[in-house]
Amino acid sequence: MPKTYDAIVVGSGMTGGWAAKELTEAGLNTLVLEAGRMVTTADYVEHVPTWQVRFRGLDDRKTRSATQPIQRECYACDEWSSKFFVNDHDNPYTTPPDKPFLFLRGRQVGGRSIMWGRQTYRWSDLDFEANLRDGISIDWPIRYADIAPWYDHVERFVGISGEKLGLPQLPDGPFLPPMELNCGETLVRDAVAKHWPGERVVTIGRCAILTENHNGRAACHYCGPCERGCVTRSYFSSINATLPVAQATGKMTLRPHSVVHSLMYDRGRRRVTGVRVIDGQTKHAIEFRARVVFLCASTLESARILLNSKTPEFPNGLANSSGELGRNLMDHVMGGGASGKINAPADKKPVGRRPNGIYLPRFRNLQGGPKSSFLRGYAYQGGAGREGWGRGTEMPGFGADWKHALRDPGPWHFTFYGFGECLPDRNNFVEIDPTTVDAWGVPVLKIHCVYGPNETALMQDASIAAAEMLAAAGAWDISPFVHNNPPGKAIHEMGTARMGRDPKTSVLNAHNQAHDIPNLFVTDGACMTSSANQNPSITYMALTARACAYAVNLMRRKEL
Amino acid sequence: MDRRSLLGLLGATAAIAAAPGDLADYGRAIHLGLGGSPGRRVLDPHQDATVVALTDVILPATDTPGAKAARVNEFIDLLLAEWSEAEERDRFLAGLAAIDTRARDMFGKDFVDGTPGDQSRLLTVLDHEAAQWNAKPRATRGPEPFYRRIKWLTLFGYYTSQVGAEQEAHFAIIPGRFVPCAPADSTAGSE
Repeated sequence: MPKTYDAIVVGSGMTGGWAAKELTEAGLNTLVLEAGRMVTTADYVEHVPTWQVRFRGLDDRKTRSATQPIQRECYACDEWSSKFFVNDHDNPYTTPPDKPFLFLRGRQVGGRSIMWGRQTYRWSDLDFEANLRDGISIDWPIRYADIAPWYDHVERFVGISGEKLGLPQLPDGPFLPPMELNCGETLVRDAVAKHWPGERVVTIGRCAILTENHNGRAACHYCGPCERGCVTRSYFSSINATLPVAQATGKMTLRPHSVVHSLMYDRGRRRVTGVRVIDGQTKHAIEFRARVVFLCASTLESARILLNSKTPEFPNGLANSSGELGRNLMDHVMGGGASGKINAPADKKPVGRRPNGIYLPRFRNLQGGPKSSFLRGYAYQGGAGREGWGRGTEMPGFGADWKHALRDPGPWHFTFYGFGECLPDRNNFVEIDPTTVDAWGVPVLKIHCVYGPNETALMQDASIAAAEMLAAAGAWDISPFVHNNPPGKAIHEMGTARMGRDPKTSVLNAHNQAHDIPNLFVTDGACMTSSANQNPSITYMALTARACAYAVNLMRRKEL
Repeated sequence: MDRRSLLGLLGATAAIAAAPGDLADYGRAIHLGLGGSPGRRVLDPHQDATVVALTDVILPATDTPGAKAARVNEFIDLLLAEWSEAEERDRFLAGLAAIDTRARDMFGKDFVDGTPGDQSRLLTVLDHEAAQWNAKPRATRGPEPFYRRIKWLTLFGYYTSQVGAEQEAHFAIIPGRFVPCAPADSTAGSE
C-alpha cells in the first residue's frame, strides 16, 4: 500500500511553496513533489565575481548551445545561473514549424522562483471585469474584493517594496519602503507628470525585494544579480521564504527527483486518489496517495499532467469535461518601447546595483477614459543609467589618458520597455505530442501559440508612446523599437485550465477547484482566465493561498 | 570537475594535462602548427608577445595596473582555445599577423620590436581607421577591423579581471547600499 498523505502538492516553486506553507500550517501532512534536484542556499552564486567564472560572463557558449539552445534565450540563463534552467534534450517539447514558442523552465526545488523577475503588481477590477466588458472569452468568477484580502495575506509575508499611488488600476498593498529612483529617472518622472498629469505615472518598481529586515530575512545589500540566488534571502523565493516555514511545521515531506507522470482517479468516488511518479534518478514508478491534490507545477506542466491523466471517463484529459483543458494559452507580449539619451546631471551617478527598475502603470483604455483602437493595455518597465567602461570600444583613443577618461561615467540613457496584455484565444492551445517523450518517458506537450493583431497593436502603440514621453523629457538620439519576441519569452505563460462559473466552459471554479473533481486544485498560472498586463506571480500566490484556505475548510467540514 | 577547480587549474600551466575536455582543443592547436607558448594553448610565443604588447599599449599601467598585469593575453588565449569558433580564431590570428605587416611597413620591424613611440604611432592610425569604419553605414562598411576587436577584448579582459575590476573600476561585490544620485567621481561601491 502506498503511503497516504493528507495533501500532495506537485511543484515546489512560486505556488507550490505557498501551498506547502498554507497546508502544513493548517496541520495537514503534506507531500511536496519536485521533479528536479534539491537546491539550497549553498547553490547560490550571486557573489561570485566575473574573474571567478571561466569565461567572465561571456558564457560557455558551445556547451550552452549544445545543451540549452532554448533556455539560453532567457537573459538569466547565463554563465552563473544556467544550472537553474533545464537541459533541453532531457526536456523536449514540440511546436508547429510556423509557431515558435519558448518554453523556459526551471526544474529544481524552488522552481523558477529562484530566477524570477520579482516584479509584483496587483490586478484590479479593470482586469477581472475585462472579458465580460469586452464580450470575449468567459468572465472571471472572482472580482478584486475576493482576492484583495489574499493579496494582503501574501504580501505581508513576502515583503513588497514599493510606492503607494492610489491608482484604481493598480491597487496599493502593505508596502515596505520603496527603493529610490536615480536622478535620470526622476527627470523623466517629472517630465511625464508635467505633460500627462493624472494620466501617466513613473514610479519605482514594486518588487519582492526587502528594503528593510522582514520576517527573519535581511534587507537587500544591492549586489545586483538576484537570479543567481541570495544568501541573505532578501528577495522572495520558495527556498528563501515559504518552504522553510513549511519545513518548520514538521508536516512537510519534500521529495526531489519526483517526476509526476499523471494523477490516479477513482471513478466511483469521482476523486483523485494520488499521483504516479517516475523517480528522477532510478526511473522507477512509484505511487503516492492523498485526500487532496494541488497542482502547482507551472502552467504548462500542470496542463501536461492533466492531459497525460486520461481515463475512460475523461478520454481527453482529467477534469476536462469542458474541452477547455490546454486551451487559451497566453503570455504577455513584450518588447515595444523606446530608448534615448537624457540630460540628467552630469555630476551624479547611481552607486550600488539596484535589482529593480521603473514602472509606468497602464494608461490606455481605463474605465471612463478615451478608447484606443485596440483592447486592454500595457505597462512599461525600464529605467535610467550611465554608460561605463563598455563604451570604450566606441570611444576614440587608447592609452593612459583614454583609460583615465573611462573613469568618468558616460552619457545618461533611459529605456521604456512595454509589457502588454495577451487576449485569451481557444486556438492557442497545448496537446500531448504522441510521438515524443522526455528523458523519463513522459509524453511531452505540443504547443500551438501565436500573438494576434491586438497584441501587435499594443506593442506598436507602446513604442510610439514611449518615444513621445522621452521627447517630452528632452531626450535625444531617441530609438523607438518593437522587438518581435515569440510567445513564451516573457515567461508569464498562463491559461490552459481556466477558472469560470460554468463547468461547460471552464476547468476550475472560483476557488481553483476542478469542476469535475472536487479534491483536485490547480493554483498556478494555468488557472488564469485572462492575462492583464501585470507580472502575474503575486496573483498566483494570492490565489493559491485562497484556494488552500478553501480546501482546508472543506476538509475540516468533512466535505472533501 | 567543478568550475572552481577548473579555474584554479587554469591559473597553473598544468591546466592542459589536467582537464580531459581541454585535450581535444590542445590537440587541434598543435595540429594547426601553432604550438602554444608556455601556458598558452593557441598563441605561439610571438603571437602571445604581440597580444601582450598591443593590450598594454591600449590599457597601460598608470596609477593602477594595466592589461599586462591583468594577464589579458591569457584570457584572450582561453577564448581562442575554447570559446571561439574556428573561423573566429583564424580571423583573429590573421588580424594579428596583419599588425606585423603594418608595423614593418611603418617602422621596419615587427610590432613587438618597435619603440613605444612606434607602437603608439601605429595604433593612432589604426584607431582612426576603426573610427572611420564605425561611422560608415552598417550595410556597406565590411568586416570589423581587427584593431576594434582587440580593443574590445582588452577592455573586457581587463575590467572583468580582479585587477581591473577592483583596482581600476572600484568594483565592490557587496555595495551594501544604493545611492541614487551619488557624486559622479565617487568610487565607494561603484563598478
